[in-house]
Amino acid sequence: MPMRLTVQVQLVLQALLRDPAKEMYGLELSEETGLQPGTAYPILLRLENEGWIDSRWEDIDPRLEKRPARRYYRLTAGGAVQASAALAAARRPKGTALRRLAEGGGTA
Amino acid sequence: MMPDIGREARRKKRVPVIGLILFGTLVVAALLQAFQPGWQWVSFAVGVPAITAVGVSIDSPRRHGRSSRRRGSGLSGHSRDDDGPAATGRWRVLAIVSRLMPRAAGRRWLAEAESLLPDIAPARRGAAIRSYLLSAPRLVVIMWAHQAQRRRRPGPRRPR
Repeated sequence: MPMRLTVQVQLVLQALLRDPAKEMYGLELSEETGLQPGTAYPILLRLENEGWIDSRWEDIDPRLEKRPARRYYRLTAGGAVQASAALAAARRPKGTALRRLAEGGGTA
Repeated sequence: MMPDIGREARRKKRVPVIGLILFGTLVVAALLQAFQPGWQWVSFAVGVPAITAVGVSIDSPRRHGRSSRRRGSGLSGHSRDDDGPAATGRWRVLAIVSRLMPRAAGRRWLAEAESLLPDIAPARRGAAIRSYLLSAPRLVVIMWAHQAQRRRRPGPRRPR
């Protein structure tokens, strides 16, 4: 099933695409996108299930760092290509539809 | 004498949570009916105890001890002290809701929430927890559907 690109999904993808090599954890993503962390999580899970991103737990000693380990997300190589294409396609339809309308109007 | 408004406030806070769990249970049951007939009992086996647990916790006396705050949630407890009783209650609900999810996925969800929430300013933490709770029913459905899909997919470990 193709990925449904809601506005929230687009925001997450845009944030990840700003620097595809950079790993981001939930709160950074949440601040970049303006989404609540609880809203961003299902999106990240879906993107991960689709293979667009991968994630890993931070390798730290929580007692030494005095904070819990974070889960970091990053676009996969294929995911970055797919995300760019999907975002481009999401921006296109309005223009395409208008062009088709104009073409249809011109031939009628 | 102070009126006992605590119980009433707790009841008001639990009602939407019970509603969400009930809604989630019904959605999962409907999905199982469609994709895995005969497995609907799973959603009720998880949903009914969860609703009961949340419902019963309304009447349970609120404990303020350090050990009770840590019990069962799997949350580290640090940085929750300044959240106030409302947020502490939500932490508990978060832990209960995580048990509606497949075990590994629920643990990951809870651990991730735990890793983020201490970094959020206390004033905004309540909203963040609420966002986790609001997205939980949909997540429960997604996670169980993903789990069922993985089980159905023939893999190398499947005996011939």
